Amino acid sequence: MTVVEVLFLLLGLVAAGSALLVVTTRTMVHAALWLVVTLGAVAGIFLLLAAEFVAWVQILIYVGAVVVLLLFALMLTKAPTGPQPDLDARRALPAVAVAGLVLAVLGTTVVAGFHGVELDLDGAVVGSAQTTGATIFQQWVLPFEVLSVLLLAALVGAIVLSRGTGRRGGE
Amino acid sequence: MAELVEVLLRVAVVLLAFLVVPLLVGQVEHKAMAHMQSRVGPMYAGGFHGWAQLVADGVKFVQKEDVVPAAADRTVFKMAPAVALLPYLVAMVAIPIGPGLVGQDLDIGLFFVVAVMGVGVVGTLMGGWSSANKFSLLGGIRVAAQLMAYELPFVLAAASVAMAAGTLSLTGIVEAWNPWWLLWQAPAALVFFVAGLAELQRPPFDIPVADAELVFGPYTEYGGLRFALFILAEYAGIVVLSALTAVLFLGGWHGPWEDQVGWLWTLAKTGLVAFVVVWVRVAYPRLREDQLQRLAWQGLVPLVLFQLAVTAIGVVVMSS
Amino acid sequence: MSFPGKGLLKGLAVTMRTMTKRSVTAHYPDALPELPPRSRGVIALIEENCTVCMLCARECPAWCIYIDSHKDTIPATTEGGRDKSRNVLDRFAIDFSICMYCSICVEVCPFDALHWSPEFEYAELDIRELTHEKERLREWMWTVPAPAALDEGAEPAKEITTAQKAAERQGRPTP
Repeated sequence: MTVVEVLFLLLGLVAAGSALLVVTTRTMVHAALWLVVTLGAVAGIFLLLAAEFVAWVQILIYVGAVVVLLLFALMLTKAPTGPQPDLDARRALPAVAVAGLVLAVLGTTVVAGFHGVELDLDGAVVGSAQTTGATIFQQWVLPFEVLSVLLLAALVGAIVLSRGTGRRGGE
Repeated sequence: MAELVEVLLRVAVVLLAFLVVPLLVGQVEHKAMAHMQSRVGPMYAGGFHGWAQLVADGVKFVQKEDVVPAAADRTVFKMAPAVALLPYLVAMVAIPIGPGLVGQDLDIGLFFVVAVMGVGVVGTLMGGWSSANKFSLLGGIRVAAQLMAYELPFVLAAASVAMAAGTLSLTGIVEAWNPWWLLWQAPAALVFFVAGLAELQRPPFDIPVADAELVFGPYTEYGGLRFALFILAEYAGIVVLSALTAVLFLGGWHGPWEDQVGWLWTLAKTGLVAFVVVWVRVAYPRLREDQLQRLAWQGLVPLVLFQLAVTAIGVVVMSS
Repeated sequence: MSFPGKGLLKGLAVTMRTMTKRSVTAHYPDALPELPPRSRGVIALIEENCTVCMLCARECPAWCIYIDSHKDTIPATTEGGRDKSRNVLDRFAIDFSICMYCSICVEVCPFDALHWSPEFEYAELDIRELTHEKERLREWMWTVPAPAALDEGAEPAKEITTAQKAAERQGRPTP
C-alpha cells in the first residue's frame, strides 16, 4: 500500500466513524460538531484524489457556512448543554434501511461509472480550479443550470413560507 | 533532505510570525488607540513606553487558574480556543509577502485562505454554546448571524479580484496587479475590508462581544490561557485580514525598488491596513444588530454584485 | 458641502488629529500634580499652639480627633502667690480613616494650631496606621504652604493692624 492509500483508508474511517457518531450521539450540538469532522475528513479525501478545488469549496461552504447555520439554528432552539436521553430514536430502523439503500445506489453508480478509471496523482492537477471550472461550464452546464433553478425554487419557497399569509401582525 | 529542511524552515518562520506579529498589532492598538483618545496607554512594562505590556499580559494569563464552569460541556469548552486560533495559523501559511516568500504557494491560495478563515468562527460558536451561560449563548447567536450575513460579500469581493487577475493563486494575483486596479477594484476592496472586520467581530461590528449588554459574549466564561488564545485569534485575524487586503487590493510587493525590498512593501501595506483597523475601532460607535444586517444585505451585497459586473465588463473589454 | 460618508470621514479626521496632539494624561507618580491653593490633603498640628481647649474634638462631626491631657501645676513665682495650673497635651491624634476633610476643626481652632497641608500620599496597608499621632501631625507642618496673598486693596489682617497701632503708640516707625 502506498502512503496515499493508507491516508485514504484512515480518512475514510474517520469520516464513516464520525458520521456514525453524528446520528448516535445524544447531544444535539455534538452531532453538529461531529459533522464538522466528517465533512473535514471528506474534504481530506477530495484532496487526496487531487480535487483541490472541491476540497476547499467543501470546507468553505459546509464547514464555514452550513455547520454555522446548523449551530445557529440549534442555539435558537432550547437544546440543553447536556445530553438528551429522550432524543427520538424510534425511526432508527427505517432510517438505517434508507441509508443502506442510498449507499447501495450511489455505490453501484460510482462503480459502474468509474470502474477501472486510473487517476494519475503525480501528473498535472486534474482537480484544479481551471479544470473544474471548464468541466462545469462546458461539459456539465445544463445540469448546473437545472440545479440553479432548483435552488432558486427553494429560495422562493422559503420566502413565501416565511412571509406567511401576510394578514398576521401589523405588517 | 534539503527540501525537508526548507519546509521546516518555512513553517518555523510562519510560526514565529504568527506569534510575534499579532502582538505587534496589539501593541499598536494599545498605543494608537490611547493617543487617539488623548491618553498615553501602557507606559511602564518593559521600561520604554510600555513596549512589553502584552508580554506581561501573557505571563499573567499563564499564571491564572484554568476554570471550567460546572454546567459547561467540558470537552467542547476546552477545545474551542484551539479551533478558533488554528485556522488563522493555517491561513498565514498561504499568504505571500514577496515573490517566492511564502509558507506554501498554493494554486488556489485565495480559496484556501477564505475557506480556512470561515472555520475559525466554529471555535467561537463552540465556546458560546458550551459555556452554559446565557450571555455566551446570545453572543454565539450573534456571531453566527453576523457570519451568515458577511461571508457572502467577503467571498464575492475576493472573487472579483480573482476574476480580474484570472487566477486564484495569491502570488498570481499580485503579479497581475496593476496600479489602476486601485480605482477599478476600489468597491471590492472596501467591501472586503468591511466584511472582514465584521467576520473578525472587530469594532464597529463587535455586537457579539458588546460588553455593555453581553459581558464578553461567547468568551464570558473563559479565563487565563484559553481567554488569551481567543484574543490572540482576534489579533491573528487582523493580521491575516490586513495581509490579504494588502496582497489582493493594494498590490502586495509592487512599489519602488520592488526587486530589492518588495517584501518590505507588503509588510508596510499590511501594517497600514492593520492601523486602519485600529483607527476604525476608535472612530466609530458599535452598530446595532439591525443596522449590521442592513449594511450587509442592503449595502455590501448589492455593491459587490455591481463590482462583479464592472469587473466582468473590464475583463472582457481588456481581453478583446 | 455635504456628501455621503462625510460623517464617517469626519470621525476619522477627529481621531487622527487627536493622535497627533499631546495627550492630556497626568503622569502622576512621575510628575506631581499641581494642586490648587487651600487643597485639603492632610491636617497638620502645631503642638506649641494647642491649649487643649477641645474645641476641635467637640466640633468634629466624625469624632475622629482624640485628645488626652493632664493639668500641670506651676509653682508660684512670687512669695505668697497662687500656684498656676496649665493644660499639657499628652495625646493628639486624628484618624484619617474616619475624617471627612470638612475642615471644621481647622476653622474653629482659636490658636491656629491646626492647618491644612496639601500632601495626600499617606495611604497605608493597615487601616490602624491611618491614625496619625501628634508627632506625625507635627511633621506635616513642614509641608504647609504660606497663606495665600491677600487680594488687591483688601483690609490687612487684624493681628497686623493691632501690632502696627501698638508700634505707633510707642513712637516706633512702621513699615
